[in-house]
Amino acid sequence: MTQRASSKVVRILLVVGRLALGAVFLYAAYAKMKPLLAGMPWSVTSIKTSLAMFGLQVDSYELLPASLVRAVAHLLPPFELFLGLWLLSGVALRLSSTVTALLIGGFLGVVVRTYMVGLKIHCGCFGGSEPVGPWEIIRDSLFVLLALAVMLGAFLTRRAHRTEAPAEGQPSPSRAD
Amino acid sequence: MNQQSDILNYREPRRRRAGWLRALRLWVALSTVSLAVPLTATSQTKHTSAKPAGITAPQKGYGSPSAPITMEVFSDYQCPSCRSLFENTLRPMIDDYVAAGKVYLVHRDFPLPAHKYGYEAARWANAAGGLGRDQFAKVEAALYDNQPSWSNDGNIEKFVEAALSAADLKRVQKLMEGCQASPSASLPGAQVRNVATADQGCAFDVFIEQDRALGQRIPVQATPTYVFSYKGQRLPPGSGLVSWPILKQFFDSLLGH
Repeated sequence: MTQRASSKVVRILLVVGRLALGAVFLYAAYAKMKPLLAGMPWSVTSIKTSLAMFGLQVDSYELLPASLVRAVAHLLPPFELFLGLWLLSGVALRLSSTVTALLIGGFLGVVVRTYMVGLKIHCGCFGGSEPVGPWEIIRDSLFVLLALAVMLGAFLTRRAHRTEAPAEGQPSPSRAD
Repeated sequence: MNQQSDILNYREPRRRRAGWLRALRLWVALSTVSLAVPLTATSQTKHTSAKPAGITAPQKGYGSPSAPITMEVFSDYQCPSCRSLFENTLRPMIDDYVAAGKVYLVHRDFPLPAHKYGYEAARWANAAGGLGRDQFAKVEAALYDNQPSWSNDGNIEKFVEAALSAADLKRVQKLMEGCQASPSASLPGAQVRNVATADQGCAFDVFIEQDRALGQRIPVQATPTYVFSYKGQRLPPGSGLVSWPILKQFFDSLLGH
């Protein structure tokens, strides 16, 4: 495979990877913020209630004091929404993929710690009642690998653009992100 | 000929539609039957068919059943996390939001096999609940307050005795006839098992098993697990410890609707 062809494959995989990650975060945000009760319309009040319920799940990890639990519960889902849109847009991919990798890495660390200390609680990752266990660790590990792959791809693609010499009479290559 | 073939051509799609319609009707009928069959307890649970004669259903609720929020807590009296939840979260909640009529708290028994005396403790609590809510509340508090002690030697009765009046204690002891578990010393070797089980024919086992069957439908995978209902609608379950300020914030948010 020529260098140009392999570069094209990397770009395609990069796009697929960031779209997949973006979709995961958008779904995570939606699952945490959607109205709790059947027939309840979307509103500021319903979102606040859903975030308060998410607060119970954050609290069950027994990691943070109440003030920080509130902050995390009310800030994390909107941030996931923002991150999902950011990844989908492809803007500043090196930065967005780095933030994503750090965030998912943090989640994985918390889940592993929770499992190791024997806490039998619900993950709260996607709003449901899935318990923290080996499957959640495997799933989050795969997300971390995907995020790292996207991050690596974003940096390598950028570097490839920088080292490519423009052909005579051709414009300089555009920025990767 | 053309007319005949036209008729056949016309009938063919009608026969296919009729076939699909029959299949659809059959599917709807089967779905309706399966949905109409109530969820029952598993075959492993016993004593769930009927309330034993002469035994009052234990009252294990705090507050008013007409409160807008109902919180059902599935717990095991020998579970340390359940004790933490009771002491640090449910107690202030009972004094505050339950007393104010905002929350109705219901205890559901879900004794775990790993806890040697959990089932027996549940029996005592249910027996007290058979006398009334106040008696249940006193015994539940005594069980959790003294959990580190009776979890070691299984001597639950002395704490029940300390919690109840002499008259109530006599009545509870009478209700508990036939429910006393054999002492752990009689177990062969170092075998550790749940001494009190549903096989010993205790009258209160039916209520414990009813709660357990309900928990299995949630499903409860660990204790404590709590389920909220708001104006009749059940919310997704949660498990583990939750602090009172965070729980209160959730209640306030829910009540704001």
